[in-house]
Formats: sequence, structure tokens, C-alpha cells
Amino acid sequence: MNPTATAALLRDTFREAMARKIFWGLFGLSTLLILFFLFVLKIDIVEGATATISLFGKTGGTADVDRLVRGVYGFVAVFLYTWGMFLAVFASAGLTPAILEPGRIELLLSKPVGRTHILLGRYAGNVLVVTANTVFLVLGVWIIFGLKTHLWPPGFLLTIPITIFVFAVLLAVVVLVGVLWESTALSVMIPVALMILSPILAQERIMMKLLSSEWSRRLWRALYFALPKIFDLGTSTLNAIRDRSYSFFDPLWTSALFGAVMLAAALAVFLKRDY
Amino acid sequence: MPSPAIETEALTKVFRSRAFPSGALREVRAVNALSIQVPAGETFGLLGPNGAGKTTFVKMLLSSVHPTSGRARLFGRDARLPESRRPVGYLPENHRFPTYFTGAGMLDFYASLSGLPAPLRRARIPELLSRVGLDGWGNIRIGKYSKGMLQRLGLAQALIHSPALLILDEPSDGVDPVGRRHIREILSELERNGVTVLLNSHLLAEVELFCRRVAILRKGSVALEGEVKALTAGKGYRLTASDIPDNLRAHLASAASAVSARNGLVSFQFPGRPEVNSAVDSLRAAGCEIDSLIPTTSTLEDVFVQTIEGNPAHS
Repeated sequence: MNPTATAALLRDTFREAMARKIFWGLFGLSTLLILFFLFVLKIDIVEGATATISLFGKTGGTADVDRLVRGVYGFVAVFLYTWGMFLAVFASAGLTPAILEPGRIELLLSKPVGRTHILLGRYAGNVLVVTANTVFLVLGVWIIFGLKTHLWPPGFLLTIPITIFVFAVLLAVVVLVGVLWESTALSVMIPVALMILSPILAQERIMMKLLSSEWSRRLWRALYFALPKIFDLGTSTLNAIRDRSYSFFDPLWTSALFGAVMLAAALAVFLKRDY
Repeated sequence: MPSPAIETEALTKVFRSRAFPSGALREVRAVNALSIQVPAGETFGLLGPNGAGKTTFVKMLLSSVHPTSGRARLFGRDARLPESRRPVGYLPENHRFPTYFTGAGMLDFYASLSGLPAPLRRARIPELLSRVGLDGWGNIRIGKYSKGMLQRLGLAQALIHSPALLILDEPSDGVDPVGRRHIREILSELERNGVTVLLNSHLLAEVELFCRRVAILRKGSVALEGEVKALTAGKGYRLTASDIPDNLRAHLASAASAVSARNGLVSFQFPGRPEVNSAVDSLRAAGCEIDSLIPTTSTLEDVFVQTIEGNPAHS
């Protein structure tokens, strides 16, 4: 693989994300959240363990500092998992179909760069755009709260790799839908459907009681195993932030497998197609 | 002996699709067993009506369309390998350059994909912008460029890595006559420097002026291939005379390939020397005035039309 070409493909994705205001939109939202915590939310530590909290200058009483910090981190993590992820998918959905436009793809393919290189370059560039924003938001909030409360719980930093991982899995779906149908709308709908389905599928105990037939239970389990476990990963991250027991292993490898299959399928379609 | 710049052997592309809702298989043979060889350093024109398979052929050379059968080679390397495209510059028809680029940014991107190192890119970009007449436009977003300017920028993009083979699909499309001449000058300079040029254009006069050899495609196959000079030279004689009796006029018209009358003068187009000599004899015997007799060469357009319409002389 030619490193000059790889760098160009990554830069191009960043440039397009900026031109489409994707990068700036996510960056602006993250900055607003950081500014909110920096200037609006004031925390005064009282005797090291409790704090008085004031919002827009209005004091809201005292709270346990550790609980407060973990609560805020939990809020940021949930925000990233829900709205942040949705915005990232929504914003990224057009980036793959864009390079497949007639008049653009022919020129890309005429260069001494393989098709796998082109698609993975765009995929990696897209992940980097979201990585930059996630790191900025999570590190920004962590540093602000660390400086204000002198507490630096590392669990919150897990939000960075887990958010990027979940986005990378969903982006594999976006890319597959993009190369299959070249449709931005479908590229949003399918990953969002997976996000909505994930917490429902995760209610295994309840569903096993509700489902009457064995085949429907099997189908449920198969779907739960095959589809990305966004909800489980989110729950584990929250548990890590709250210092409770957590396990990433199963949801991580099954979701990684799903993402790898999606990406491999996208590459297979892209390699075979005529443009 | 050096490898040809382009070499195809029985290159074929069949597009298959299923009709909805019947599910019947539909096949379109866009390119049919095309075997073409373009030696290095040659200027080669690819002609044909819409749907003749020109663009599909070019896309197969550049691997954006996969051949159904046959093979293509660029400078002796299998055209399916990305590395085979390193010495190739390409300007597609109906290109769509991303509008978030500036002119210089766009050249930098495509030069990087061709593996050009940064110092070389920095040197080449202003040089090429100047060469295609876009001085001072490098830092302006290409969304603001006119169609002709985009075409010039596209040409600069194709030339940025100093290719040994240049494939141009309608390079003068949307360019004004001065710009067209400028592009022709650039291409002539490239030809002098030994660059192979494959020109796919509807502007036959442009192809005739620039290309040494042409192939005319019809329904995916080569209908005619040869040197432009050979195809357009020595094609007949135009004899113009006046006061021709009707019966003689009818007799001459039967031997002529075309007849036209203007201001009392009648012009006959004869395909060869025997026909024109016989016509001169007949006219002089009848006491007619011969106004002029000139050898004519057919234009590439004549050749093209005759080939596409199935004139046996060219098929």
C-alpha cells in the first residue's frame, strides 16, 4: 500500500467531512457541551467529599463529589451513545455514496490504487473524523472535571474506545449499504434500526418468558448473537464509569465479528462492481 | 522491442440484467472481441457513434469496468493490476470533481494518489496550472470554475504525474475555440515528447488534426482502423463544368458518387481516375466548358459517416 495515497485518502475524507459541515457540526456540539461544563456548571468542593453545585449562578445544594462526577460522566457517555452516535451515523452516511458518483469514481479507479485501498481509506478517514471529536469531547470533559474536583476516575476514558468501536461497527453497515444501493437515506436507516433494535434484543430474560414457541426463542437468540450489541457495550461502559463490575468481552468480539463481516461484504461488492 | 502502450486481445464486455417483473435475462454486448494495439508514442483516435462501446473500452483499460472475457495490457502489464495504471493519465467524460477542492488542492489529491512525493507535487502544481492557462486560480474553489476551466483543470490533473500514456475522453468539451487550440498545442507538445495519446472525441476535425491513427467502433467492434492520412487521402476528383446537355448530365451522374449544381455550374464527384478521364472526354466531345478539376480528399467525417452507415468501401 502506498502511504502517500493512504494519507491523501484520509485527508480527502476529512476535507469532505469539513466541507459538508459534518466535522464542524460534531465539533461545535462537543465544544458547546465542554463550555457548558467549563463556565455554567460551578462546583465548589466542601471538605473534600461533598460539593455545592450551582447552575447559571443558582446553587442547587450539596452532593457527594464522587457520585456527582460519575453521574456527569454517565450523562456524557449516554449522550455520546445515543445522540452522538446517531449524529455521527447521519453525518457519515453520505460520505461513501459520494465517492461512487459517476464522474468521480472512474477517476479514482484510474489511479494506481486498488479498490480495497480506496474503500478502506475512506472508511478509516470517516472513523478518524469521529475519533477526533470523541477524544475532544471526552478528554475535554474529563480534564475540566478533573481540574474542578481533583478526581480522575479512568473508567470514563473507556468511553473513547468503546464509542469509536461501536461507530466503526455501524459505519461498516453504512459502507455496505452505500456500495450496494448508493443511497444516503438507506445508509442512515439501517444502522439507526440496529441502534433501536439493540436494547430490545438485549432484554433476553423478559423475551424468553414472553415468546411462546421454541423457534421464536431461537430466532431471538440468533439475532441477539449476530447483531452488534450496542446496548450491552453502553451498559458495560456505564458500569465502568460507576465503578461497578463489567464485562466487555462477549459483546465486543461478537460485534467486531459483525462489523468485520459487513466490511468484508462491502469490499466484495465494491471489488466486483462496474462503474 | 518495447511493449505497446495499449494492447487488447478479444476484449469483450457483456452487461447482463434481469427484467422486472418477468425475470428474463437481458444482455447487451457493449464491446465485442476488440483487439487493438497502440504502439508507445502514437496518437490514436477512438471514434464511434453513441453506444459504440468507446467509453466501456476505455473503462476496461482502466479497470473501472471488468471485462467479461479477453485481456488488456498497458505497457505490457495486465490492466487489472493497479500498478499498470501508474504511467496513465486520464480525463473522463462528464467528470465530477469534488467542489470542496481548490484547483491546487484537487491536483495535490490526484497527484498523491499517483504516488507523487510532496516536494515534486509542490513544484508541479503551479507549473501545470500555468500550462493549462489557470494562473492565479490555484487557491480558488473549483465550484467557481467555468466548464471550460474545469476541463483545463482536468487536463492538468491527467498530466500531473508526467504520464507516458494519456487517455482523454472528450477533452475539448465545453472549451472555447481559443482554449481548444491551447489544448491541441499541449497535446502536440506531449506527442513530440513521446507521450502516447488515446483520444476519444466526437470532434472529428480535432481527431483528424491531431491523431496519426484511428479506429472507428460500431456496435462494440472495430469497423475501420488505419492511418488518418491513408483513410482521408486520394479519395476522388471533383469535376465542375457548364452547359452540359441533359442526356450527358444524366450519364455522368450515373458514374459519379455525388452531383451538385450551382449558378449554372454542375459539380460531379468521381471516385477514381478512370471515371473522371472518361467524363472529361465526354464533356470535351460535347463541347462543354470545363470550369475546374480538382483532386479531393475525403474528410474523416466522410469516412466516419460512410463507415457507420455501412458503406462497403470502408467496412
